[in-house]
Amino acid sequence: MNDDRPAATQADLPAIRERWVGVEFDVATFEMEPGRMVAWATACGDTDPRFIDPTHPDFQAYPNFTSHCTTHRVLPDEFPKIGPGFGIDGGKTVDCLGPIRAGDVLTGAATIADIYDKTGRSGTMVFIVQRMTYHNQRGEHVSTVDWKMIRQL
Amino acid sequence: MTSPEPTSSDPASSGYGVTFDQIELGDELPVEHPDVSLERVKLWCDAADQHFPRFLDHEAARAEGLPGALVPGIMNQGFLLALLHRWAPSATVRKIDTVFRGQMVIETELTITGAVTDTDEDERTVEVDLTVVGPDGRTGVIGTAILAFE
Repeated sequence: MNDDRPAATQADLPAIRERWVGVEFDVATFEMEPGRMVAWATACGDTDPRFIDPTHPDFQAYPNFTSHCTTHRVLPDEFPKIGPGFGIDGGKTVDCLGPIRAGDVLTGAATIADIYDKTGRSGTMVFIVQRMTYHNQRGEHVSTVDWKMIRQL
Repeated sequence: MTSPEPTSSDPASSGYGVTFDQIELGDELPVEHPDVSLERVKLWCDAADQHFPRFLDHEAARAEGLPGALVPGIMNQGFLLALLHRWAPSATVRKIDTVFRGQMVIETELTITGAVTDTDEDERTVEVDLTVVGPDGRTGVIGTAILAFE
């Protein structure tokens, strides 16, 4: 989808931070399927039975398994245009707060956790940190994933 | 290429299977070369429901201006977790923070490394710096993990 809006400038960033940091903009649920949990750990080369054997008494999802559990929207619908296109995936931070078991149903909520910029030889890059927080069906906070999206002004 | 099997019968010499009391600041983890065959990457893409041509098809990736089909960033993070689990099987990963700095191409030889940068006797935690390096020596991923021991 084309976005014909004018792109934000560096001068706009303080107001964008003020408006959007902390805003929750999407929620989705995710069922933890044992087959996918095993395949993920196996593909990563792990041999620990906690992650590849569904009959193990401590069988659980891989520590970064929630990284792929994303909501439909990457950013809020009205979020300003910053730089061209999708940008670059700058990395992921995963906080592993509790075991995620097969059959658990996680509720993931997406917020804008931070917006900051860095200027280097190639110009100014804007880092948009999308935070997903995951709670299981008992309301326990089991995982947080921060995703840094990098866009060039 | 496959990850080496841990030789837990002699953890001190293999570098695998360490306990908290065996870990010293500056210790290096065993070096590994993860399996980034198309088959393995496809298995991960199926598990993650991420069937993007840029991960699975060299020609499609090159058409996007990439050097070839890419190892997904989150899968690289998973290789680092597998190394940590082999190195310290009694520990639990509390946090892993990775920065994706460069593109790692599938069906090449990647090298993953780790080194202990902090230990906390009271909390029984260890901090480890991690890297994924491509065959040309470029670093594709840097990261830090915190492990907790019983």
